[in-house]
Amino acid sequence: MKKKLLIIPSILFLLIVLTFFYLLIIERNPSEIPSTLLDQNVPKFETESLLKKERFISSKEFGNEIILVNFFATWCLPCRDEHTYIKRFSNEKGIRVIGINYKDNPKKAIQWLKNLGNPYSNVPIDKYGRIAIDWGVYGIPETFIISSKGIIKYRHVGAVTKKIYKKINLLIEEIE
Amino acid sequence: MIKKTFIILLSICLIQFFSNNSYTVEPNEILKNQKQELRARNISKNIRCMVCQNQSIDESNAPLAKDLRILIRNKIKDGKKDEEIYKFLTDRYGDFILLKPPFKLNTLALWLLPFIFVLIGIFIVFSHNKKSKKI
Repeated sequence: MKKKLLIIPSILFLLIVLTFFYLLIIERNPSEIPSTLLDQNVPKFETESLLKKERFISSKEFGNEIILVNFFATWCLPCRDEHTYIKRFSNEKGIRVIGINYKDNPKKAIQWLKNLGNPYSNVPIDKYGRIAIDWGVYGIPETFIISSKGIIKYRHVGAVTKKIYKKINLLIEEIE
Repeated sequence: MIKKTFIILLSICLIQFFSNNSYTVEPNEILKNQKQELRARNISKNIRCMVCQNQSIDESNAPLAKDLRILIRNKIKDGKKDEEIYKFLTDRYGDFILLKPPFKLNTLALWLLPFIFVLIGIFIVFSHNKKSKKI
């Protein structure tokens, strides 16, 4: 009886090892934190637009169709990497993409979009990063899917890769 | 020679250990009202830097940490209460932004398991002692 009980700690230990091993091998990004804003309304904001004269008013822009919101800046290298996929969303899939220009130099941003192509239907300027805080952004680039009712459905932190591109397309189909 | 290097290394460690007064709050961020500044510092110490994740925004150099420090100070100047500031931050970044997880239903295991394990340990030690005394 006593000897049998002695096995219990080793089994527990084995279970702990297995859990750790499982967490190691599954594909996940431990620094990615789920957004608390999921299934909530888009934060309201009003700001200047990089390419248009009229001010950007969020309540006028969201709530009609599915929209992707992409936080980007010219100083952010991963933003350059994901730009081809952002362009594919708007050019190939016909999805409206709003690019929030995060703490950037407007002149550089305009040139950047000229050089790399502009996938954005509108580019609101977040000069001081205050809008990003309302969206719970902590590391640009970040990409959000907004439903046609103006509700945040998904958030991806980091550059959009081929895999994420496919994932976002699937999610958009599901939401539609 | 070895003794000398050992003493030097030890003193460096000791200096590092006792000199944790340095902080990253920049001079232009500091509020003139000392009471308000103290409140801001206390809040910042409890707020996680989302970029570096194991530092508070009070000790982090990340730009987002700086933005949040300034935001907290502005809110204090506007007369916001501490609870309101914490709520503002958790509404946007979730409970993860608090360095100390709150006592909630989904964190119950986190808070209570250590005590349960200690109790189990005590139980095992006592029952083991009893048995060995009998022999």
